Amino acid sequence: MAKERHLLEKKGYLDAKEIIMLNDLIIGMAGSGGDGIVSAGESLISASAKEGYFAILTKSFGSQIRGGESSCRLRVSTLPVLNPGGTLDVAVVLNWEDFLRFGGELPVGPETIVIYEAKTKVAPDAVPLKVKPATVLAVPLEEMAIKAAGTELAKNNVVLGLLAGWFGLAQKAIIEGIHKKFAKKGADVLAGNDRAFAAGLEYAAQNPFAQDKRLSPPAPGKHASKVLTDGNEMIGAGAIFAGCKFFGGYPITPASEIMQYLQKELYKYGGSVLQAEDEIAGVAAAVGASFAGKKAMTATSGPGLSLKTEVLGLSSLAELPLVCVNVQRGGPSTGMPTKPEQADLFAAAFSSHGDTVRPILAPIGVADCFEVTVEAFNIAEQYQTPVIVLSDQEIAQRKEIVDPVDTSKLSLVDRLRPNAQELENYTRFKLNDTGISPLSHPGMKGGAYLAAGIEHNEKGSPTASGEMHAKMNDKRLNKLNPLKRRQDLFIIEGDADATIGLIAWGSIAGVALEAVRITRAAGIKVKVLVPKLVYPVAEDIYREFFVGLNHCIVVEQSHQGQLHKIIRMWVDTPKGFTAFAKSGANPITPEEVVQKIRALAS
Amino acid sequence: MSADATCSCPTPDTYAAKDFRSTLKPIWCPGCGDFGVVSAVYRALANIGRPPHEIAFISGIGCSSRIPGYTTAYGFNTVHGRALPIAQGIKMASPELLVLAAGGDGDGFSIGGGHVPHAIRRNLDITYLVMDNQIYGLTKGQLSPTSARGTKTPSSLYGSIEDPVNPLLYVLAYGAGFVAQGIPGDMDGLAKLIEEAIRYPGFSFVNIQSPCVTFGNPENQVKAQKAKMKKLADLGHDPTNRLRAMDLASAYSTELYTGVFYKNPNPPETYDSHIKQMQQDLAPQAKPLDQLLPLAT
Repeated sequence: MAKERHLLEKKGYLDAKEIIMLNDLIIGMAGSGGDGIVSAGESLISASAKEGYFAILTKSFGSQIRGGESSCRLRVSTLPVLNPGGTLDVAVVLNWEDFLRFGGELPVGPETIVIYEAKTKVAPDAVPLKVKPATVLAVPLEEMAIKAAGTELAKNNVVLGLLAGWFGLAQKAIIEGIHKKFAKKGADVLAGNDRAFAAGLEYAAQNPFAQDKRLSPPAPGKHASKVLTDGNEMIGAGAIFAGCKFFGGYPITPASEIMQYLQKELYKYGGSVLQAEDEIAGVAAAVGASFAGKKAMTATSGPGLSLKTEVLGLSSLAELPLVCVNVQRGGPSTGMPTKPEQADLFAAAFSSHGDTVRPILAPIGVADCFEVTVEAFNIAEQYQTPVIVLSDQEIAQRKEIVDPVDTSKLSLVDRLRPNAQELENYTRFKLNDTGISPLSHPGMKGGAYLAAGIEHNEKGSPTASGEMHAKMNDKRLNKLNPLKRRQDLFIIEGDADATIGLIAWGSIAGVALEAVRITRAAGIKVKVLVPKLVYPVAEDIYREFFVGLNHCIVVEQSHQGQLHKIIRMWVDTPKGFTAFAKSGANPITPEEVVQKIRALAS
Repeated sequence: MSADATCSCPTPDTYAAKDFRSTLKPIWCPGCGDFGVVSAVYRALANIGRPPHEIAFISGIGCSSRIPGYTTAYGFNTVHGRALPIAQGIKMASPELLVLAAGGDGDGFSIGGGHVPHAIRRNLDITYLVMDNQIYGLTKGQLSPTSARGTKTPSSLYGSIEDPVNPLLYVLAYGAGFVAQGIPGDMDGLAKLIEEAIRYPGFSFVNIQSPCVTFGNPENQVKAQKAKMKKLADLGHDPTNRLRAMDLASAYSTELYTGVFYKNPNPPETYDSHIKQMQQDLAPQAKPLDQLLPLAT
């Protein structure tokens, strides 16, 4: 410490203070494809997971299939992380052009510590940023890499060494991770990477910041009990847990990993996966599997959802359970396949001809993808209906450290099947109070019936009777009403007597929740409602939430503010009911939402 | 694998044709070829001997796609063009079922045409019956993908200016292991073809020239077809000769050949049997359901 103080004095940083311990650190890095920036981010999150931290790693790429600019942002915390965060605490710039291309995805503020490649020859007081960060440091990354490892390829390990040294990140776990990653490359490469990492550490020790900031150690007792995963994998695992036995789909960004995970895993649990010839065949095969009595799923993204809609209608009319995951990306049409957006809500809710209601569930982060998927299967089976899960690119593809799923609190629902007595004179679409009639499947003696996309009577025979059509519409729509009373599918947080409210869903919910926590900590009364059941609209739950509100902002990532509009279709909303909505790929940060709340409170 | 792998169950005489006839009255016009087709299906299923509840009969949309409802099997009258993917999903989920798919020429070779090659190359053990009448009957007589060039219909008032699909050549080219053609006028022959198709262990296809009495060519009705038909067996055709089969199939528009065009003498392993094998091989790797995702270590 004495030596450090000496160095500080020597460099003119005379006001060295106590070390600030952080519970939360946001690091953003950008470079060209070959710089290994994303790989460095992965090393950091793996190490953080081993140490017992929580974290979110989001990766972002240019539109090139290989190469081009790439970036990542890591938010690591001692507490569960709700969203990737806003302004960076630390920015690592390997190349200014690449860094600037990510714009709002890597926002730099006055407090950000900016570390950049000295080779870029930009003077610290002339960095091309809109704000003037207090700390800007040029580091000869490439030079250090070549000197330590004989190759510029090692510069990402220099970066890791710097970050570990400056911010107290898990050194041992990072080195172990690097060794695991490069194990096959031989002893020379390993030694070179070790030296590069050590050079970074050394540099950090020699060049301390005016204000030393360190990440607090993880919560005790949590060591090595975390899961490092992403939303797509969690959905796949949730499906297996739920008892899914069939998946039909077609490759599409950013949903393909669900199919890939299930292709690898589902056979182990007695199921199978069809990579179909197109999106329609994928969902059609899943409806077939459901007709055959098995729990079935398909997954896609926007364009695929458009193609699947007719078969989703078949699932509604034939009352066959089905889970359809739609990982939203920028749209319409091809849109922005690698960027998140929440603009498929209208499509999910309304893209069916005829009078149809199909439940829509939305996870708010990687952590709840598993149980939302299980819930989707439960609702599909319970109500014999298609259920759409609206995930998004952000949740689907970001890496996140989460607690292991506590499966003991999850229960599984299977469809109502006919008993022996009901099979004596089987009536597939029997009208009753619940609207839920026993569903047989091929192989069940006495249960044979005609499933169809055509309107039918109680026995399943085709009909053109208006009276019967009205009765069957009643059955199919009213059976879903109990869902609207499922309080457990809604998160409500904050002050019950608040006059300011927020509503947010999907990946933006975590932003709203954090904003509410920050503003409440500052003494502002505010509350937030997060629907995991996005549709049908749970009128009573919204009405109750609106009581006492003078202002209510729906925060969402779509140009039109789709949830804002859908709520208004069903519920009389308070006077100050507005949307704070942005098109996809324009991050909404907790800071922005905090500002909105503050403006309303003042 | 024996050719009878699909029907390892009861003795063939357990069921009679009437056991497969439902009480639902067909909506077809009097004289429609599809009456003969459904009767042939009853007979074939009776000979196969699987109980009706172990049969899943899937169709798309069109007059002929009403057929599952007229049987006592589990029926699924789906959406236009999607019978094959739905049938494959059923077979994959429950490989023990006998799965039949059916539809018209529009269903199979126009709106659902993109699914046919994939059903063939995937080779699940299902049987696909197309009732080919060269017209759209349910929508009242428009041009179909198998309508001959020059055909005048309400949607081709000046005569069709495009060539028809040749269903036989199409499925042969994609490598189907069993390809046959029949007509309802030859009920015995058709029932036998359907039975043989079902017994074939893999994807099997029967094109049934089933005339439309209302909108079809008046000179190509059930009786006329019977006079026109030439049995491939009588011509001495060897159904293991795929090239010769393609040659004969090329005459789709001019000759009415009935019988088996091609039957693969060495049927390859089916997709469904691969699935069973993979499930067996991979089952030991299953993790406890509360530990599906590994802990970070």
